[in-house]
Amino acid sequence: MVEKGNKKGLMRRLIPNVLKAALWGTITFLFVYFLPMLLYPMELLPIEYSQFFYVFVGITVFFTVITKLFSGTILEHAFNMTRALVMIIYLIAVFHGGIIRLTMPMEEAPVNLAADLTAILAILTLVNLLGIAKTMFQITEFLAKKTESSQLPEPQ
Amino acid sequence: MKPAIRALGIATIMIWIILIVFAVTALYSVMKLGIGFGEPQFFPSSRGIVLSLPFSLNNSGYYDISKLNITTSITDSNGTTLSTSDTFVPLVSKGSNVEAAHNITIELSDVMENIGLLFNDSFFMFDTFVSLNFARLVPVQLSMNIPVPWGAPFHNLSVGEIQSNNDSIAVPLSFENHSFFDITGTIELDVYNDVNELIATGETSLATPSQQLYGGQIDMPADVSKLTESGRVHFIFVTPIFAVERWVPYG
Repeated sequence: MVEKGNKKGLMRRLIPNVLKAALWGTITFLFVYFLPMLLYPMELLPIEYSQFFYVFVGITVFFTVITKLFSGTILEHAFNMTRALVMIIYLIAVFHGGIIRLTMPMEEAPVNLAADLTAILAILTLVNLLGIAKTMFQITEFLAKKTESSQLPEPQ
Repeated sequence: MKPAIRALGIATIMIWIILIVFAVTALYSVMKLGIGFGEPQFFPSSRGIVLSLPFSLNNSGYYDISKLNITTSITDSNGTTLSTSDTFVPLVSKGSNVEAAHNITIELSDVMENIGLLFNDSFFMFDTFVSLNFARLVPVQLSMNIPVPWGAPFHNLSVGEIQSNNDSIAVPLSFENHSFFDITGTIELDVYNDVNELIATGETSLATPSQQLYGGQIDMPADVSKLTESGRVHFIFVTPIFAVERWVPYG
């Protein structure tokens, strides 16, 4: 009887999370995949960078779905922190440590282009570090709330 | 705890907004950048030739372009540097148009050091390196290596069969002017037989337009008795921009 009640409670908590995850996953996919596709055709990007783009879409959608799925639990924050760390590693890989090199085939001779995006990479890393700091505060708050609720006296 | 989380959230959103706005406007600015090239022109200078490449930069974007530096180095087919030229534009402000010319000086003394360039077609490598600072935040570098064919002014210089009369000889001479400039001046020549005895000395004027074949016969008084079936002709080509000598066998 108790087990049945637990299952019901779990389902009641899980169904909204699944719906939320599906909705946010779809919105994120539309925002990070379809919108850039409409604005800038990926065929114009070099193959290496179009692959990086698909990896970015994968990371973003996966972490959006998984954090919404575990919303309201400590795992939500754990995944948020993992996302920030994965994004930092991903950005360093995409930006090749800050210097982007491209070779554009031209009629007379290929043109080599190098752009030093170290400043942009530093700002992007900073944003993700701020995200980690925010998540750490959220974890502290979450644990504090949990401790508080466990120490509350039983209603008589 | 909540205010700290909110503050961090707001800071993150603000930085993202700034980054997205910068990325979009930077992309738009790059697309609005108008680069134009004028007709390349050659000018004679006291030391050689100046190749002038006029260009214009119309910056109708949102960001300045600073420290635009164009460096061109010309190397011959052996990799020897013949010339290095720089053009520096300190600032192309947003909404402005800058017109400049990149002048490449080719000193003929350098070309003369490699005398083969006057008699054999070859190629030069134009190594161009462009660096600039976009929005004072993103340094950008462009480089390209363009092989440029070089046409020799006296390509395929050859002496035909020498005809002789009683007291004179006729030296048939031909070459192709593959260069981009007309050749005017004089040809001085000394004819030697196979035992290196001087047979005849002569001179003729020279006017061969660019991309034209020179074919002529130079008549000169000679000691015909010393003429042998083979030998050598010593040429001295004197033009307003250079003078060069060359030994060519005959027979």
